[in-house]
Formats: sequence, C-alpha cells, structure tokens
Amino acid sequence: MESAHTECLLKLIDEAHDIHDYQSDIPPRWCTGCGDNSILTAIQRLCRDEQLEPEKTVFVSGIGCSSRLPHYMNAYGFHGLHGRALPVAEGVKMRRPDLHVFVTTGDGDCCSIGAAHWIHALRYNMNMTVLMHDNQIYGLTKKQASPTSPRGQISNTTPRGSYLDPLNPLTVTLGVSNVSFVAQVADWIPDVLYDIVSQAFRHKGFSFVRVLQRCPEFMPHRFDDWVRDPSRMRLVVHPDGVQLSASLSKTYRNQEIHDPADIDRAREIASLTDEIPVGILYRNSEVPCYEDLREGERPNTPGLIRTVLDEEFDKVTIWPEEPGKVAAE
Amino acid sequence: MDGISLELMSPRLLERNPEEGTDGQALQMQRPALFAGYADLGKLRYDYPLVLTENDGGSARMQPLSVVMNELIRKNVPSGPEGDEFRWQLLHMEARIRELVSGGSEKPLSRLWRQAEKELLATKKGADRQKLSAKLDVVRETMDVDGRIIECDADTPVRFLVHAWDMIHASKARVFRKRVDGLILKLSDILKADFVKSDKARSPEILKSAVGDTFESDFDFSAMSRVLVEGSHSEMLSGERRQRIEAVLMVLQSQRFYAPGRASERWLDGVEPHQFIFDNCADAMNAFRDRLPQMVDFIEAVSIAELEIRNKYRPELHDAFFARFNDCDLTEADLAMFPSYLVCLRDGESDAVETVRALEAIASGFPVKVLIQTDDILGDPSPEPPRTSFGGGSARLAAMALGVNNAYVFQAASSGLCRLQERVLNGLLYDGPALFSVYSGATKTVAGMPPYLLAAAAMESRAFPSFTYDPSAGPDWASRFDISDNPQAESDWSLHELSFEDEDQQRVAQTVPFTHADFAICDSRYDRHWVPTSHVKWSDAMVPAADYLVAENMNGSDNAPYIWTMDKRSRIRRTVLDDRLVNAARRCLETWRGLQELGGIHNSHARRQLAQAREIWEEEKNSEMEALKARQAEMQPQSAPPTAVEPTPEPVAATAIVEPEPAEPEAVSPDDPYIETPRCTTCNECTQINKNMFKYDENNQAYIADLDAGSYRQLVEAAESCQVSIIHPGKPRNPDEPNLDELIERAALFQ
Repeated sequence: MESAHTECLLKLIDEAHDIHDYQSDIPPRWCTGCGDNSILTAIQRLCRDEQLEPEKTVFVSGIGCSSRLPHYMNAYGFHGLHGRALPVAEGVKMRRPDLHVFVTTGDGDCCSIGAAHWIHALRYNMNMTVLMHDNQIYGLTKKQASPTSPRGQISNTTPRGSYLDPLNPLTVTLGVSNVSFVAQVADWIPDVLYDIVSQAFRHKGFSFVRVLQRCPEFMPHRFDDWVRDPSRMRLVVHPDGVQLSASLSKTYRNQEIHDPADIDRAREIASLTDEIPVGILYRNSEVPCYEDLREGERPNTPGLIRTVLDEEFDKVTIWPEEPGKVAAE
Repeated sequence: MDGISLELMSPRLLERNPEEGTDGQALQMQRPALFAGYADLGKLRYDYPLVLTENDGGSARMQPLSVVMNELIRKNVPSGPEGDEFRWQLLHMEARIRELVSGGSEKPLSRLWRQAEKELLATKKGADRQKLSAKLDVVRETMDVDGRIIECDADTPVRFLVHAWDMIHASKARVFRKRVDGLILKLSDILKADFVKSDKARSPEILKSAVGDTFESDFDFSAMSRVLVEGSHSEMLSGERRQRIEAVLMVLQSQRFYAPGRASERWLDGVEPHQFIFDNCADAMNAFRDRLPQMVDFIEAVSIAELEIRNKYRPELHDAFFARFNDCDLTEADLAMFPSYLVCLRDGESDAVETVRALEAIASGFPVKVLIQTDDILGDPSPEPPRTSFGGGSARLAAMALGVNNAYVFQAASSGLCRLQERVLNGLLYDGPALFSVYSGATKTVAGMPPYLLAAAAMESRAFPSFTYDPSAGPDWASRFDISDNPQAESDWSLHELSFEDEDQQRVAQTVPFTHADFAICDSRYDRHWVPTSHVKWSDAMVPAADYLVAENMNGSDNAPYIWTMDKRSRIRRTVLDDRLVNAARRCLETWRGLQELGGIHNSHARRQLAQAREIWEEEKNSEMEALKARQAEMQPQSAPPTAVEPTPEPVAATAIVEPEPAEPEAVSPDDPYIETPRCTTCNECTQINKNMFKYDENNQAYIADLDAGSYRQLVEAAESCQVSIIHPGKPRNPDEPNLDELIERAALFQ
C-alpha cells in the first residue's frame, strides 16, 4: 500500500537502467565459449526490459560454475552452500516477498546433493525463477560425472565410463505435486532463451527452467549434433507458450504445437531422448504459493518477537516495589 | 371551524358507557388494537436483548440473544424429541439471562451465562447434574460470541452507535498499525544496517557483547576491532538522510491518533491517544482543527518514509514538494486513514443550537459522524416551540441533511438497529460526514409501553420512517436513496390483520392500517383529542381514519374518523379522533409520500411523464390507424400489389487477408563478412581474438564493429572458434595479407 503522494513523487524520478547497469564490477570468469555467458546475457536483458531495481532483486546460488552467476550481477547475491541454494532462496522470499528472487544452480548442485531441496521447493511453489544450468558434468572441479551425464561418460570419477542412465530433470519436476512451471531451452538459441526466462519471471510461482548448456572445456562437442542440425531440436510452440520469430521458424522447422496446460503431453515430450525439446512444457498459474498461504498478519522481526514475549511475560511478573515509593512511606 | 372538534361532535358519541364512564382514567387507557399480541415483551423472543459482540478482527456483528441461542441449539442439540429436554433447559437459561439484563445487569454474555448455568445446575442433583454439566460445557465451548448485552431503552442508540464506532475504529487501527509498524521497522532497519557498518559497531565493547561471556577470554577484541575497522570501507548514510529518517521515525512513532503499535516504542508514559467521541459539535470541530497540523505532519512522514524505504528520495526534487506540504494536499485516502469523529446529541438534553452546528459540521465535509437521538417525535401539543428541543425538528433533521448531498444520512428507530446494522457500519465507514437519526422509543409521556414497542410503532406508523442516503452508492438518487427498510414501503400505511370477537361472540377479521393516529394515541399528552366508543355507539357515520384522510370533501361532513383500539381489559373500541390528530396524520402522510417519491415509489415526475408519453403514443397510434383506414379505403377497388421482393445482397466473398511476406533482409553480398547477431551466445570467443573488431550490442550480442581494426586471419579464426558458427568471414579486403590462399580455403566452410 502506498500513498497517493508517494506514487506522484516517484513519477518525478526518471531512472532508466541499461543492460550495463546490471553488470557488476567483476567481469565473468567463465571459460571462453561457455554457455553460461549466454544465460547471463538473457538475465541481464530481462532485468533491463523489466527495469528491475537492483536493490529489489536477489540472485541466490549454490556451488558450481553456474553458481558464480550472482557475482556478475549488480544486484543482491547469495553464493551459498553446495545444493542449498533453494532453501536460502525460500527464506529470502518468505521474509521479503517484495524482492524478485532468482536461483541459478547446476545439474550437480540441483539434481545430486540438492535433490531433496529441489523436490520440496517444487512442492512449496514459492514465487521465484530457477535456472538450472545443465552442462551434464561437474566443470568447476574439472570433470566428474553428474546425475545428468550420459551413460558411458568417461570422467575423473568414472574412468571406465558411467554405468547409469542419466536422470531426466524434466520428468522429475513434472512428477512432483504443485509443480507450476517447467520449461527447457538451450543456451545456443538466445532469443528463445530470453523469451522463456522472461515468461518464467512473469509466472507467479516456482518457475523451473532447465537450460542445456555447452561446456567447451570438459564436454566439448557434447551438443554439436543438435547445434549443427536444428531439425533434431523439437520446438514446442503455442500462443500461450513460446512463439518463434519468422527467421527462427525457418531454422527450426521441427515444431510441435503444445498447450502448456496439458501435463500429460508435457510428460511425453519431457521423455524424448533423441530430440531435444525446447519450450514451455507446463504452466499452471492456479497453484497457490507457499508464501501467500503462510502470509503473516503483522510485520515480524526479532525485535518485535522480543516485544511480544516481554508483553506476555509482564502479565505474570511480580514487580518489586518501587524504591522511591518505599522511601516516601 | 373546519373538521371535527370533539366538543361539537354528536353527543351520542360522547355519551360514556356506564361501565367505563365512571373511571375517566380507565377510559383513557387505550392502546392500538394491533398491540394485542404484545402485552408482555419479556416473554417474547425478539431483537433485544442485543449482544454487542466484541470484534477481534473477524467480521462479527451484533446479534440478538435469541439468534445466539438458536445457533447454539442448532449446533449442540439433536433435533427431534430426544433433544427436547435439553432445548427446553437452554431456552430456560435464555429467559433467565433476559431477566438478569432487564434487571439492570451490565455484565458480558459469558458472565451472565455462567450465572444462569449455575442456577440451572442447582436444580439438579447427582448423576443428572453431572450429565447436564458436561453437556453445558460443550455448549459453552461452541459459543463464539461474547460482549455486553443491552436492552432496548433510552441509552440504546448511543451505546449501539458507540459500539459500532469502536468496531470500525478497531479494524481501522489494525490496518493503520500494520502499515505504520511496517514503515517504522523498515526505517529502523536502514538505521540499524548503517550502524553495523560504522566503526562504533566494530568497537571492542560492542564486539565483546556480541560474543557473550562464555568465550570472552578466547578473543582479543581490540585486535579484532582494529582489523575490522581497518579492513572496512563502507559507504555510510549521509548526515542529511540520517536526520530525515530519524525525524520521520519520530513522527511515526509518536502519532496519537491510534494507540501505539508494537513497533512504536517512543510513547511516553501518561500520553493518551486522542479522543474521538464528543457530546457536542463545537468540541469535535475544534479537536479536528487542532489536530490538522499533526495529520499533515503524519502524512508527510508516511510519504517520505515510503520514498526512503525504496531509496527513491531525491532531495533536489522532493525537498521543495515537502517544504510547502500543507493541509490542502491531504487527499481523501489520507483522511480515511484517520479515525472519524463521533458526536452524540440527544434531543431535549443537548443545546438546541447544536442542531445548527451539526448541519454546519456535516455540510463542511469534515469526517464527523453525528448521532441525533430523538426521544419524543410528536412534541408538546402546545404551539410554543419547546426550549430544549431542537424546535421539534430533530425528527426532521435527517430529511434536512439530505440537502447537503455528500453526507451519509440514516434514519431508523432503535427497534430496527440490529437488523439495519450494516447501514450504520457503512455510514461509519463512509469517507465523508454522516448523520444518524435514531428514535429511542423512550418517550416519557407514554406510560406503560416498552420503548421497543413504541419504536417499532413509530416505524410502522410512518411517524419516524427509516431511510438511507448513501452518496457512495452511485451517481443518482435511485442508487443512493433507499426506503425499502420500512414495512410495506409501497403503500401509504402498513396493513395488518386484526381479528376480534364481536358482541355475538363471532370472530371478525379485518385488514386495518396502522396510522400515525394509532401511534399518537399512545401519548398521554394527546388524550384530549380522541374518545373511545364501545360497539353500542358505532354508527355508519364513522369512517376508518385512513379512508377519511384520502377521501375528498370529508371536512365539514358528519363523518367521524376512527381507529381501532382496545382498553386495559382488551375490549375492542372505535376511537374517534378530532381534527388535530387528523391533521397531524395528514401531515405525516404527506411527508411519507414525499419520501416515497424520493425513493422512486409513485414518483410524481415519473407519473406525469408516463401520462404525457401515453398521450403522445395514443395520438400517434390513432393517427396511424386513421391513415391505414384511409389507405385501405383507397386500395379497395384495386388488386393487391405484388409484395416487393427485397433483393438479397450477394454474400461478400471473404477476402483472405494475405499477410505480406516479410521482406527479405537486404541481400548481403557473399563477399562481405557478417555475424548473425541474434544467434550470438555472448561466449567471448571473438571478442577475445579482437575486441575492437568484434563488439557487443545493446543486448550483449556480437557484431562486427570495425573491419579495419583487424586482419582477415582474425576474422577466419573467430569464425572457426565461434561455438555456434555464426561468423561469416566473407572475402579478404586486403589482397596483400600473407597466406591468403590458405585463409580463403578455411573461410569457405563458413560462407
């Protein structure tokens, strides 16, 4: 709630942020050619286009290459513990629902050590935008297999190749109750990446975006087949979802019209193995957000809690007689 | 002399029946016949006693005790015969509580309930008692309302309105505190965050107190302080901003419009919140004027706080605005934050000049809520205006206030208050002034009649009609003005069934109107103006008063108007009225019809227009008919012409909207190098090869900024290293570059 004067006075201020206002003093230190750069650019474009106030925006991350992103944003950032980005972000949102909360996490951070938090964060459905940078390898620690690494992947921890089929983050998310937004995109289609990130931002609820991300250092050529052959990418389009520009439509001719409200078809698309689906698989804006369900009546701070407790204790306190009063008698 | 005077009336009417004539007092103890069913209100379950429900944030409303009890019975007692005993016991308790309340008890419902419960249990023994006690415990737990209980008496209007105002005030206070406490906390956080960055917060003492006693000896706090102070280079708040925030905090924390919230720690002992309930308009208006500067300061502080919290306060822009901020800048929304002023006036007790002040206050638009309680509608029969009353006009004050146009006006008798409480609450919530005109029913000159009954009679008889004028309901009278709360608002008088036994012990049933005269005869001051007659005196010259009023040429005729009454022993009488009462009833009817017109019933303007429109319509129809007849007569000899076939329009061919093909991008010569910028993933490969040749655009995507800034080799290398192969090197521009052949061959892959 704001007074009419404040609204009026705010109009006096004309502040427009350009894309460089969202870049911190630290230049990105990802490897040259890394797909994370593309994600950073999409986020910075979103911040500029939505004119997000840097002091009202928070980026929370765990550990990994992806989780370095908050350092490169001129906004609030929380570079947390491995796998624990989501609980931190939930805490931020609970206490400060007025902030825009973004989470950047990786396939290791989210699907391995942080898997439990991930499942429950989906169920809590708090209003935040989660970008999972999926390069299918632990890159920061120089090549160990992650849950999404393809079967047979040779790495420092799997010298004879990994034994298990990879985990599919899309089918997992679509199986959790209260899921409200699931999308997949590849870092090498910047326009669609931007479009999906901005739709995820505008969705009220927990928006989960898996971004397939190239790692030129430890997984070179992993996605070459798809980068070079656009027909192997299946673009999931819909008037309520992603809509391709004319030029992109020419490049990506393999398209499917899919209504994001249809969760059954979303699960089928998510299960594709040969083709990479790109687009908004599922969206349901009716799912309630946990922070709304648990919204408190009064502002709540440690100081206030102390005041309230003191009030309660005072009711049963036996007060010593005031010294002045005794002297007077 | 026009009309009838009792002295001039036919003597047979004046002849008193021997059995009643002996006692003049008994003769004059007449009640309207329709009151027959309401001899003892104590045995009836009606709107009173009323529970003034304590509102703790919910939407609880005031409820009659009988409604509360019905709800408890519905929840706790099985329907059917097995619940009969317990239901009876609960109803018995209700009757006991009624008794206690009419005995003058002021305790809240829960206390009275316990007392009644105790008395009920005392009548039982042993196992019966325990069983009943357990059942009553369950009932008490499901009782979700509590509050003081009031009877319908002379104090009811004030107590009802003050309670309603308190309810509104409490809910306003909640909203207010939530907002202001939020602002205070956020501003304090700014100051706290600044303090934590200061050198003082890093002093050894503070660091020590942060660690606590247990590990005190393990740390060298001065060394810690030194390291922290030297290593820090935080930006602190400017002195100007800090001062501004502190000043705003002071204003927010020390406001006196509502009791302090949890975040307002600065309230001094002994400081009380402002009072908003007054017994005269002058004090209320003076209080409002005195507090205006505080309101201005407070709203200013709120606006500054909101800007500060968003870090959007720009002294160069905003200082000037706040420097000349004054009461003219307060908006309606601002004023709505503050409590409204309640003035309770009572006809006969408050100074007569208050009526003028009340109208003045209401017309000034200041957020005042005025209650005018009337105890006497009819006034003294002597023509001289009574000195203490509002000139007998207090009952008409509400109608006068309608002229103010932006004031909420509500009128009702206290018997209807509970049913109409939403209207009272709406009036209190309304942003502007409001006038509540309430008739208490406690007229001193009416003996032996409960105020509730008299209040209800005033509404029924149109002597004190109910109406609501709500300026916030819409732009026109149809949406603003409402008289639908009156009984049978469509008709002149409300009609009721009256049945009695005639002299032959036969049942006589009649539909009789309850007129103004029925109400007036209850008042002992008007005894001289009517006379009751028993059936032996009834004649055809007697006309029911309601018919007499509307019939033409009655004045001067032999006809005598009468109403049905009954005496102390419930014997039916026709009571003949003199012209004074008849004239009063006629005036009342005229006023009522005026209200009906305003409320859209039998509106004279509408009727006139309707009549005019009908006339015009009939004329048109007649002339059309005549024209048709004339035409028919003309056509008779000729054969009927073939009916013209209207040409049906050809369906318009749906023109396909052909979207123009998007223009092909300007043909790029294959010799010129280019980048498919929209596909760039910002991976820095090209910019690392030559940051002058390749640059990022406003979307952080690469384009060729300057071809002369680098060599063809660099172009080809960039194309090769580009992860998404979007760099097309074209043909070399400088034919002298070394190893061109090899480069052209490599570049061919990316053309």
